[in-house]
Amino acid sequence: MKGGTHISQDDLALYAMRSLGPEETASVRAHLEVCEECRKELAMFEDDLIALAVSTEPHEMPAHVRQRFVDSIGGISSTAAPGPARAESPSVITMHPRRAAVWIPWAAAAAMAVTAGGLAVRNHALDERLAQEAQRNVSLTGQNAYAERVVQVLTARDAQHVVLTTAKTPPMPTGRTTYLARTGELIFQGSNLASLPPGKAYELWLIPADGSASIPAGTFRPDAQGNASLVFPKLSAGVAAKAFGITIERAEGSPTPTLPIVLAGSDRPAGE
Amino acid sequence: MFRTADTNAPGSDELLLNRVGQRDPQAMTQIFDRYAGLVFSIALRVLKDPGQAEDVVQEIFTQIWQRPGAFVSSKGSLGAWLVVVARNRAIDLIRRRRPTDSLEDHVITSKVNIASEVERTTLMQKVRTALDTLPSEQRLSVELAYFDGLTQTEIAERTGDPLGTVKTRIRLALISLRRALQA
Repeated sequence: MKGGTHISQDDLALYAMRSLGPEETASVRAHLEVCEECRKELAMFEDDLIALAVSTEPHEMPAHVRQRFVDSIGGISSTAAPGPARAESPSVITMHPRRAAVWIPWAAAAAMAVTAGGLAVRNHALDERLAQEAQRNVSLTGQNAYAERVVQVLTARDAQHVVLTTAKTPPMPTGRTTYLARTGELIFQGSNLASLPPGKAYELWLIPADGSASIPAGTFRPDAQGNASLVFPKLSAGVAAKAFGITIERAEGSPTPTLPIVLAGSDRPAGE
Repeated sequence: MFRTADTNAPGSDELLLNRVGQRDPQAMTQIFDRYAGLVFSIALRVLKDPGQAEDVVQEIFTQIWQRPGAFVSSKGSLGAWLVVVARNRAIDLIRRRRPTDSLEDHVITSKVNIASEVERTTLMQKVRTALDTLPSEQRLSVELAYFDGLTQTEIAERTGDPLGTVKTRIRLALISLRRALQA
C-alpha cells in the first residue's frame, strides 16, 4: 500500500473516494496524521473529485422539497404556498327519471334566455375590449417614446456615468445587465472597469438556466473612464438565463469563457 | 486550481452560516437555495432515485440547521463540503449501510468556490470537456468508483482488468482532469 514512506497516489485517490477497506483506511488515516506531504497530495485529489462531482448533469429539484424544508425550519418561503383545498361540496343533482320529461320545455326556454343574455354580455365585453385596446395603443406609443429616450441616454457618447458608493470607498468595477429572455434583448452597462492591454477585450457570457454551455453575448472595451455598454447583442430569443459573467478574452472574442471570471451575477430567487 | 470564496462578501456562505448559528431561517433558506439543487443532482446521479435523492437533501440541510458547527469544524468552503457529503451520503445508501460517521467527520480542506452559478457552470463545462478527452477505460473506472460506489475489486471483476490496473486508471484519470483544469 505504501510507496517508500508515503502513501501511494493510487491509494490516496481511493481514500479520497472512501473506496478503501477498513484496515487500509485506518492505516492511511494514521499516516495522514503525521505526514503533511500526503495531506497536501490528498487535498489535490479531493479537489479533483469535487470537480468531478460538479460535472453532474443539473436536475430540477421538485418544488415540494424546498417547501418541506422551509416548513421544517419555520422559515418563510418565497414561493407561493399551495392554497388550501377548495371546500366546495360536490354538486349532486337527483332527479326522478319519470319526472324528467316535465322539465324539458322549461329547460329549453331557460337555455335560450341564458344564451341571449350571454350574447348581450359578450357584445358589451367586446366593446369594452375595443376601448381598452385603443387606450393600450396610446399607452404603448408613449412607452415606446420613453424606451427610446432611455436607450439614447444610456448609450449617448457624452453621457456621464457616475456610480455612487459609500464615501471613501475606492470605486469598484461593476456591471449591470438587463435581459429579456423572451425576446433575447440585453443591455449591459459597465463602470470602473480596468483598462485592457491591446488585443484583449471583455466578453459577456450568458449562463443558460438549463445548464447548457455558456453563450457569448458580445465583447467590449471600456473607455478611458472605465465605462462600457453593450446594447442588443445578437442573442436567440427564449433562452432563460440563470447568471451572467464577464471574462477577459482575445479582442475578437472566444467560443468558451477563460477563467478567471472578473465579474459575475446571478438571477437569485426572490427573497434573497 | 480554483478561485476561492470571498468570505467577507455580503451574502457569503460564512456570513450566512453565522446567521444560521443565530437561528435565522431566512439565512438557512438562502443556503438551501444556493446549494440544494447541486446536492440533489449529485445524489440523484448516484442513487438514480428522485425520492432517495430528496431524502439526502432533506437530511443534509436539516443537520446544518440543527448543527451549523458540523461544517464550521471543517476548514474548506461550504460548497465543496456539501458536494463531498452529498456524494458520500448517497453512496452509503446504495451500499445499503447506515452512515457510519457524522457530518462532523467529513472534514475537507478544499476551498473550491462553487457558491456562484457562474463559477459552477464554468467548472462543470470544463470538467465535461476534460472527461470527454480521457481514454474510455479511465473514465469508466473513475465514474464506477465515484458515482456508482464500486470498490476497486468490484470494478476489476466487472471490467475483467487486474486490480492494479484499475487503481492506476482511477489515479491517472483524476490527475488528467486536474491538468486539464489547470491548463
